[in-house]
Amino acid sequence: MRTEPQFADPGNPSPLLVLERVEKRYGAFRPALVSVDLTVRRGEFLVILGPGDSGKSVLLRMLAGLEAPSGGTIRIAGEDLTRMRPGALAHLRRSMGILPPGGSLLDRRSVVENVALAAWVAGTAHEEGVRRARAALGLLGFDLDRYGGAPCAQLASGQRQCVALARALVNRPALLLLDDLVAPLDATSAARVMKVVDQFSEAGVTVVASMRVDTSVAPPEPGPWPARARVLRLLDGKIGA
Amino acid sequence: MNYTTSRLSALREALRRTLARPVAYVLVVGSTALVFSALALGVLALWRVLPMDAPPWMRPEALVLAAGAEGENDLAATRTALRQVGLVASVDFIGRDAALSELAQRKSLAMIGLNELRPNPLPDAFVVRFAAGATPDAVEAAVAELRKVKSVDSVEYQPDAYRKLSVLAQLAGRLSLLLAASLAAALVIGVALAATFWARLDREEMRVLHLLGADPSTMRRPYVYAGAINLVVAAALAWWILTSTAGWLEPAIANLAQQYSLHWAQNPLPQWSGAVFCLGMGLLGAVLASVSARLAARR
Repeated sequence: MRTEPQFADPGNPSPLLVLERVEKRYGAFRPALVSVDLTVRRGEFLVILGPGDSGKSVLLRMLAGLEAPSGGTIRIAGEDLTRMRPGALAHLRRSMGILPPGGSLLDRRSVVENVALAAWVAGTAHEEGVRRARAALGLLGFDLDRYGGAPCAQLASGQRQCVALARALVNRPALLLLDDLVAPLDATSAARVMKVVDQFSEAGVTVVASMRVDTSVAPPEPGPWPARARVLRLLDGKIGA
Repeated sequence: MNYTTSRLSALREALRRTLARPVAYVLVVGSTALVFSALALGVLALWRVLPMDAPPWMRPEALVLAAGAEGENDLAATRTALRQVGLVASVDFIGRDAALSELAQRKSLAMIGLNELRPNPLPDAFVVRFAAGATPDAVEAAVAELRKVKSVDSVEYQPDAYRKLSVLAQLAGRLSLLLAASLAAALVIGVALAATFWARLDREEMRVLHLLGADPSTMRRPYVYAGAINLVVAAALAWWILTSTAGWLEPAIANLAQQYSLHWAQNPLPQWSGAVFCLGMGLLGAVLASVSARLAARR
């Protein structure tokens, strides 16, 4: 019988994510990822920096089980992602908080509905889902009175990012996969968002966040990420120092 | 908006979304029903004309005139020899006396004194019919063989008439094939449209639900229900069009078949076939919608 991965074990910082020689190719194009070896321990805050098309989004999508690698293995809590059935992968994603680039919101639905949807999908009752959605949005400083009932199509890009992040947080996940976390945010909003994510990390949640950086200029020192975060660079699909 | 995992709520969701665009729904389901009924009418017509033998008037035939003063034994031998020629399907004998008496019954010929002709000037004759579907060249070769048979005086055969008929039959056959292929293509397009018309509209929601970890079967369920409902409704409408049209055309087609000596079975459709048709289409709709939903979630 297949067992679902167990995340919550803050006392034992054993590896949660293990990637071994992971590759991703799309036809004859340049490979998106080349022999990536990576280990992420429980409760760790990992920041992946890289320019556009460096493979960050592909890597996070594979960690979420949304794409299969072309080669190598990805283990999450000891389970090989490539061998899991669609139903088990869906169950796994319900335990994660995923922030895709652009947010992937339902534009015709309201802000609260978009966030509560993640809770409803995880089996939370309707009213409880709405309550959690409002709490998650409030945590990020979102103006609920003004925009809570508005359709997401009316939001600015920074607000959309907050809604998408609130949706990732609403189920109190054990693993956060955050792609292009602060890209559409101004410095103040980015700092606030990063502080909230850091609070989750300090509570034992494993965080893998990607951020786009321009390789022609040096990244900000210190960056918007917490000081204890481990920072990796990804360039042309290869992990650097 | 709500998201629940029960079957009843999936059905409610399917109906709600389907009826949210009534005009599009009626257009898609109506056009699918028309395609279904056209195809079913074709299949039904084919089933009722089977076995599809060419009628006697479509088969090539030749009139073989025997040499005069033949005895009965000679005529029998001639008949046997004619039957042995390749492609000959049947040989019917028409005696000279019988031919004369038949001609004499015609008033116009009686007026010119045909009855008074003595001795009978008509020859004994054989009507030779060839196998249906034989090519004009093969028939003409067989006619040449008939002419070589001993005690055959002459053979009357009109090659042009059969060649023209053969060309027309070929054209009709190819047009029928083209029509059948068009109907089949229209059926595939119609079925795919009806089954996926609703699924296509919510691809974004499918992607988001997939991202959030919605159970794949739960996620597909409303789409599967909608696909099944769409095609059951289309099939029921098609069945109604089919039975109404068949009832309306039946007397005319039966009369036409009688006039042209074509086989036309009078069997009405079995009563259970409508239910089987609707259920089968419903199942097909569910399968197609399920596949569409899977693809939409993966993209």
